[in-house]
Amino acid sequence: MTDVTNETLRQWRESQGWDVPRMARELRNAARDTGEDVAAHHGLVKMIPQWERGNRVPRERYRLLYLKIFEDMLGFSPGAAIGVDLAVRLAQIQSRAASLPGPGELRALEAAALAKPRSTWTPAEIRALAGEAIAQLHEVAGKLTELSALLGDDQVDEAKP
Amino acid sequence: MTARDDKIRLVVAELDAHIAEVEARVATLKALLADDEAPGDEDPS
Repeated sequence: MTDVTNETLRQWRESQGWDVPRMARELRNAARDTGEDVAAHHGLVKMIPQWERGNRVPRERYRLLYLKIFEDMLGFSPGAAIGVDLAVRLAQIQSRAASLPGPGELRALEAAALAKPRSTWTPAEIRALAGEAIAQLHEVAGKLTELSALLGDDQVDEAKP
Repeated sequence: MTARDDKIRLVVAELDAHIAEVEARVATLKALLADDEAPGDEDPS
């Protein structure tokens, strides 16, 4: 865990959309599973921001709990196939890709926009805008497939729009 | 850092750019529905 910095801890947590109390609960759950003795919830809520700011360094047992929690989620392991920071970046990009609307939703947006009269956007411009969005969506799908092939597994498939 | 990591980083950067393109157009379409005019419609004069 030599390349895990205070910033990495924050990125890991935020990659899952967790606030600090949720991170504390996850650490306690992981500790319970392994029989580790860890601080109470309120103590962890105070310590986590200090770890993430670099004011304090988490003890070994907490660092191992972080690894236990995130190694599966972020697609890395102690024998890491990819680096930790890259795994975090991948998780973030997968999350963004998964939140994109699909072609059907884009067509619905286009139809709704076309149905609303306005002075500055012509129907042709609105159709072009939606068409470009769908074309870019296909590019996203292509890049996700390329990533999947590079990673040699199906971990990005679920993010495919 | 391996060549494979470099390639993954490159694809992730390209993916990031394409996602941003989609997000920008979706935001414009939604703005068209939400407001009287979409961002960028303002008269520059």
